[in-house]
Amino acid sequence: MSYAGRMARLTARKIEQTKEKQARLGARDEDDYGLVLPPESFKVDLPVRDATGQWSGPRSWAANFRWLMENHPCYIDPDDAIAGRWMFMLSRMRLGYQLSRSNFAFDYSHLEPEQKKYDITTGIGKDAHFAPDYQIGLELGWGGLLEKVRSARLGFSAAKNAKSAKENPLNPVNPVKNSSTSPRICVEDNAAEEISYAIGLLDAEEQAIMGVMAWTRHLAAAADDRAMTEDDLERRENLIEMARVCYKIAEAKPETFREVVQWIAVFNMASRTYNRDGAGGQLDELLRPYYERDRAAGILTDEDAEFYVFCLLLNDPHYYQIGGPSADGKDQTSRMSYIILEAANKLKSSCNLTIRVWDGMDRGLFRRGVEVLLANRLGFPRFSGDKALVEGFMKNGYSAELARRRIAVGCNWMSLPGLEYTLNDVVKINIAKVFEVAFEESDTLEELETNYRRHFKAAVEVTAKGIDFHLAHQYLNEPELLLNLLSHGPIEKGKDVSHGGATYYNMAIDGAGLAVVADSFGAIEQRVVKEKAVSFAELKSAVASNFEGEDGERVRKIMDSAGRYGAGGTDADRWAVKLTEILNGEIANHTTPDGFKLIPGWFTWADTLRFGRAVGATPNGRKAGEPISHGANPLPGFRKDGALTAMAAAIASVQPGYGNTAPWQLEVDIGLANDAEAVEKIMALIEGHFNLGGTLVNINVVDAQKIFAAHKDPSKYPDLVVRVTGFTAYFNSLSPAFRELVVKRLIREAV
Amino acid sequence: MKGIVFDIRRGVTKDGPGLRTSVFLKGCPLRCVWCHNPESQSPEIERAVTTDEVCGREMSVEEVMDEVRRDKVFYASSGGGVTITGGEPMMQGDFAFAIAFAAHEDGIHVAIDTSGFAPWAAFERMLPVVDLFLYDLKCMDAKRHRELTGVDNQAILENLRRLDDAGAKTWIRCPLAPGLNDSDEDLAALKAFTSRLSNMAKLEICPYHPLGLEKYVKFGKRILYDNPNPASREDVSRWKSALYGAACFSRQARMDIP
Repeated sequence: MSYAGRMARLTARKIEQTKEKQARLGARDEDDYGLVLPPESFKVDLPVRDATGQWSGPRSWAANFRWLMENHPCYIDPDDAIAGRWMFMLSRMRLGYQLSRSNFAFDYSHLEPEQKKYDITTGIGKDAHFAPDYQIGLELGWGGLLEKVRSARLGFSAAKNAKSAKENPLNPVNPVKNSSTSPRICVEDNAAEEISYAIGLLDAEEQAIMGVMAWTRHLAAAADDRAMTEDDLERRENLIEMARVCYKIAEAKPETFREVVQWIAVFNMASRTYNRDGAGGQLDELLRPYYERDRAAGILTDEDAEFYVFCLLLNDPHYYQIGGPSADGKDQTSRMSYIILEAANKLKSSCNLTIRVWDGMDRGLFRRGVEVLLANRLGFPRFSGDKALVEGFMKNGYSAELARRRIAVGCNWMSLPGLEYTLNDVVKINIAKVFEVAFEESDTLEELETNYRRHFKAAVEVTAKGIDFHLAHQYLNEPELLLNLLSHGPIEKGKDVSHGGATYYNMAIDGAGLAVVADSFGAIEQRVVKEKAVSFAELKSAVASNFEGEDGERVRKIMDSAGRYGAGGTDADRWAVKLTEILNGEIANHTTPDGFKLIPGWFTWADTLRFGRAVGATPNGRKAGEPISHGANPLPGFRKDGALTAMAAAIASVQPGYGNTAPWQLEVDIGLANDAEAVEKIMALIEGHFNLGGTLVNINVVDAQKIFAAHKDPSKYPDLVVRVTGFTAYFNSLSPAFRELVVKRLIREAV
Repeated sequence: MKGIVFDIRRGVTKDGPGLRTSVFLKGCPLRCVWCHNPESQSPEIERAVTTDEVCGREMSVEEVMDEVRRDKVFYASSGGGVTITGGEPMMQGDFAFAIAFAAHEDGIHVAIDTSGFAPWAAFERMLPVVDLFLYDLKCMDAKRHRELTGVDNQAILENLRRLDDAGAKTWIRCPLAPGLNDSDEDLAALKAFTSRLSNMAKLEICPYHPLGLEKYVKFGKRILYDNPNPASREDVSRWKSALYGAACFSRQARMDIP
């Protein structure tokens, strides 16, 4: 059977499915995720909902998840190597769900006034956003996981039956000495309550596993059924093999390459169905042992392996890393890394593959990655900067070995697979809002700086309290039933990963709106203080009136034309560095009041519009409600020449440097990318950025004309994929306002 | 020392190898009819007539170097450096030399982008501090050269021969405009001349584009070649086969279309 033909048909069907999703669901400013629509006749009838349409706690989640899995429609494509597609997100089925505010059964209204004051994205009630360790699952299979859960459950039952926790040799309550790990666990008085929770959690885990097993068997049966009606012999063979694989991995651990790929896909789909989780892992190293074994046994060719990976990537755009150093500092690049990259190259669809760039790397993989990026213009692979990430994470007191194992598995996320709970990318402080509060109280630049520092400190404090609140309650609200299974600790300890189950807690707080605030401070220093072109009072009145009237517009022009962050050597550039110092000063090496370690980053995700709506006019000439800047990026127009090196140097200069990222988001026209030297130049740009301390580069190589045309009529380019922030999405799935932003961000090479 | 600079661009990918910073010095003795930077011709700071834009500002060598040094890490990762261009940079010869000298002292790769129209002594003193000459050859026919650029090509050709004899590495750049300097004879003569150069590392064709036309209006200059169409794909491919066809260049020459 021709893999090329199958790949083409699979890709075409994915484009069709995306169109259907757009028609039924409308525009969505988020990841493509790879889900397909359920049959229109399918009715979700969850067993557990209260009168307000809510549910919480391990058992309720498990019951609903199990129902969903047992009744989940079975998607079978005879061209595909993988059975199944996911169709629902349980976490979004609670009544009143909003992407910006999770359902949360516990009252945190005491924090809300301050959270609103600084427009904080709290992370309270947010799920997933950390990485699982697939190896746990691959080594045990669903049957092994079930056994592990049951055995832990027995231990806790015994403990419950024992007269006191003290008498019990299986005492699960192990005080952890290192305050950075699990400070909350330990008090013996709570032992009975904790044991009771552990039993409930493990019962729920068992239910969840049973649900996945049932669905996997259903997939097997569906593939078998489909095989009966398939006339094409080779497709039929494929379907029979698909059924065999699913029957086997429904319980037994996967052993062949194809079984492993199907197992990973099943976990991904189940975890997506549970709560949208999208973290992948170090895919080349996960697959390599099975690839090598099957190759040696003569039951797998490179073409087979490439096709299976193609199907895995098509199934779901999880975030996978390839290349980079192993824990002991050796390059992990293997034949498998190249096969994954080539599979992604052939995918021609949304994909989130990251290549870890480091000193000891296989440059061939780096070069090939850039070639794929330039040739496909689909926004992948992305590039992760090992040096600054490893050195940065070590500043939190961790070893080099651990730092190297912390990988790029999400939009901006870094995570230790199976070991760490992070709330990556869901806790954000809109510093443009913090600035606004400070500006209203100030009459000089000095006052403004003092007030900004004070309010930023207050914003971090309330954010940290919010994190504590989440960590204190999330296990009761929405336990991580799927990710717990692939984490080291939750099952053994009977604790949800959000509540003592994880080995490490490194809670991310990202600042958003850097360029708006840096440019505002810089413009005040340049135009008001140094040049005296506008007085502070005049500026305040113009900002308060949203630059209305002739005078307002005059002031706006003066402020807007001041030197920007990103130009190099401007006041705004210095302020951007200072703002990073202020960010670090309050977050890096700090803990929440309950003792959980914090790590700073700069990242806005796809929230530039929402954050912008919360902020009035700002002194950089931005009008009320306009979007804020993206991540660590300078604002469009930061230099007349749009110099990529200037942008790269600026973004490197504002890296917080504690192991989390401040990504460089680059849109570049093919003007730069249409000759052989372009590959070298993009490599040089990326390496230069990483040498200066950069952590993550997301490049969208675009044909500007195509983007402009697609913006006018999105339906003309259904296959146009752009990298929105950390994730890629179909351009025509984005809302018009978001498409406008992507268009504006385009940097056209000066002629 | 100070000079008049009309632009500094960073991250430039077309003025020499790697990622570069291009420093544009104002003033040019030539008046090429196809010039796409007419605002660079006058050595004086000038103001646009249709907007409040000002072209040119006085900068010291140190100020220029502050900007140039910002991208050192990218020069290192890409094999790039600084390109001193214009205008005709030799028109501010002392200033151009001072920048080249300072960059060279800093270990930065230095290219100079020149029309070749300057006294030999100006080039001679550049030899120790310039790594690459981006050297324009516009037309081999002396009379046509005068008509198209306003100056004689004798000194230009002579300087190039002498640079080549001195072992200076050159990239020859040929701005070609349809119907002006692209006849079969023009191309044959260019090919014959360049094939005798032993240190030419690259021959680049710079096809005509009309993107400078609006700047003539903006700066109140008379348009000399009013062609709104860029060179066609066919023109470029004809030029390419005429100039790159035979193996008549030095072995190290890497010939490609920009």
